Amino acid sequence: MSPIRIVKHSVRTMARFKLRTGFMMLGSMVGVAALTFVLSAGRAAERKTIETVSRMFGDSAILIEDGGGHFAGGPRGQGSRLKLDDLDAIARELPNVESWDPQQGLPGGSVRHGDVTERARVMGESERSEHVWGRKASRGEYFDAAAVKAADRVAVVGETVVRTLFKGEDPLGAEIRIGSVPFRVIGVLEPWGTDPHGMDRDNEVLVPITTLMRRVTNVDTIASAKLLLRNSNDAERTSTEIRRILRARHALAANEPDDFTIITPAEVRGMVAQVQKVLFLYLPLVAGVALVVGALVSAILMLVSVNARTGEIGLRRAVGAGIGDIRLQFLVESAATTIAGGALGIALGYAAARAAASRMHLGEVELITTLLFGIAASTAVGLLAGTIPAMRAARLHPVDALR
Amino acid sequence: MIELQHINKTYTRPTGEAVHALIDVSLRIQRGEFLAIAGASGSGKSTLMHIFGLLDSPDGGHYLLDGEDVSGLSVKQQARLRNRKVGFVFQSFHLLPRTSALENVELPLLYSDRGSTRGLGRKALEAVHLSDRIHHRPSELSGGQQQRVAIARALINEPDLLLADEPTGNLDRQSASEVMALFQALNKAGRTIVVVTHDSEVAAHCGRIARIEDGRIVSDQPVPQPKNLMEAAQ
Repeated sequence: MSPIRIVKHSVRTMARFKLRTGFMMLGSMVGVAALTFVLSAGRAAERKTIETVSRMFGDSAILIEDGGGHFAGGPRGQGSRLKLDDLDAIARELPNVESWDPQQGLPGGSVRHGDVTERARVMGESERSEHVWGRKASRGEYFDAAAVKAADRVAVVGETVVRTLFKGEDPLGAEIRIGSVPFRVIGVLEPWGTDPHGMDRDNEVLVPITTLMRRVTNVDTIASAKLLLRNSNDAERTSTEIRRILRARHALAANEPDDFTIITPAEVRGMVAQVQKVLFLYLPLVAGVALVVGALVSAILMLVSVNARTGEIGLRRAVGAGIGDIRLQFLVESAATTIAGGALGIALGYAAARAAASRMHLGEVELITTLLFGIAASTAVGLLAGTIPAMRAARLHPVDALR
Repeated sequence: MIELQHINKTYTRPTGEAVHALIDVSLRIQRGEFLAIAGASGSGKSTLMHIFGLLDSPDGGHYLLDGEDVSGLSVKQQARLRNRKVGFVFQSFHLLPRTSALENVELPLLYSDRGSTRGLGRKALEAVHLSDRIHHRPSELSGGQQQRVAIARALINEPDLLLADEPTGNLDRQSASEVMALFQALNKAGRTIVVVTHDSEVAAHCGRIARIEDGRIVSDQPVPQPKNLMEAAQ
């Protein structure tokens, strides 16, 4: 009664019931693939989020947005009040502010070169954006303080713009039109990739904020500003000071809400934590449901199989199989099947995670994490699916089973 | 060699009603005998066979197999003993589907602790004249052939006792005769065989008939002249 012989025999038996084995493998595969995918892609997404967020905010920056709404696409207050002078005042009053860059945008503005028109994110910035956002020109040059002061019609473009608008032609010195206003391209931005909202940050045209405000959008307010701090430990106090200054300058009464939003490093960390919660709690929970359903499908198929093979169980007992032999056989049958399905699921989940990661520019997916999650998940399915049917099979009295 | 002493067995139906399947049954079977246990359905003959085959334990009395009292063995010990000493043949064959005749025959070896088992399956199939059907699956065999595969399976571990429960019940006359002829040949070669049947035609091929009614042995007599199928076949 060598257990190894019984294991071999069980695996051979599974091969004989191709349809049932196939469905059990499918159940386990789908569940394991879902979980592997979510966790592996989740890890890649987490890495990407943290990396992007730290590139955008650093750990010593404060973001001020116009309007009392929320960060990232929330509703903006009706009257835009945030002005360049406000930021000047803050920088003057607060020594902790090392540098700052205002932003005003023309999202999805149409940009023309020759007879080609493309949509791109047109951003107005100061000459300090190169330093504040840590993004340089890889070719040509950035506009300088003089250009911003004079509201020159010069532009720095991203690589996507170079590709779509110039089709490989040298953009430096060329003329583009934003709306009807002509600009001269003086530089090309170093590549950035996509931001957490999936926006292609290389499909951008940067122009001096003064030029944008006066010649293109014709507004006197700015959308947001990023402030670099000398001492990030003082970020909360600086934020309180900024709030005080802005409320005073905007003459807000005590009962009026802020007409601006301040995002501090702590809030950014909170956002990252929120993302992590979604990636590693909610999504895996949903995938876990798929895994449990897969395990249940396998367990039910195995139970049906035990019921259909009652006579076989009786016969095996009659020719000398012990209770343990029967239990082992059915456990091995379900474990072998679900683990084989799980292996396929790992492959599928890994491939899907890689595909998703490459589509969403999340970078590499770690194979080892995928493997660990996948193996743990398939083992769980195997045990879930196998134990109850195997116990049931082993509990059958041979006399009843043979009837 | 096989002896039942005052065996009692009582079942409880799901309704709570007690059924006395065997009442004070005593029976002695010598090595090399060919015994028929005859009775109507519900008479207790199947219960008797289950006790003979160590598939069930009596509530009272003693069962001596090879002189050894086996009535109080554990489930595990029973299984080992079944594997070594008892071969079963069932009315419905109980062959594994989608599995070759050879693998079906070799099934008891899976649970045996015998050392070398090479070639035993083929030899057993030869003994039931099925050497040319080794790789056929049950669905590719006739009823008679399937039952012969089952007999080969029952014989593979050289059991002391061959137990057959209505072995011809699912067979046509021709196949039934073949199976009974095979039993007679095996018995002539020294095998102890017990056939449980309600069919007096089948019982008439055996050397001795024990009749059972309502859980009691009511008669136990040798058959003066068993029908000899081996001669008829020749």
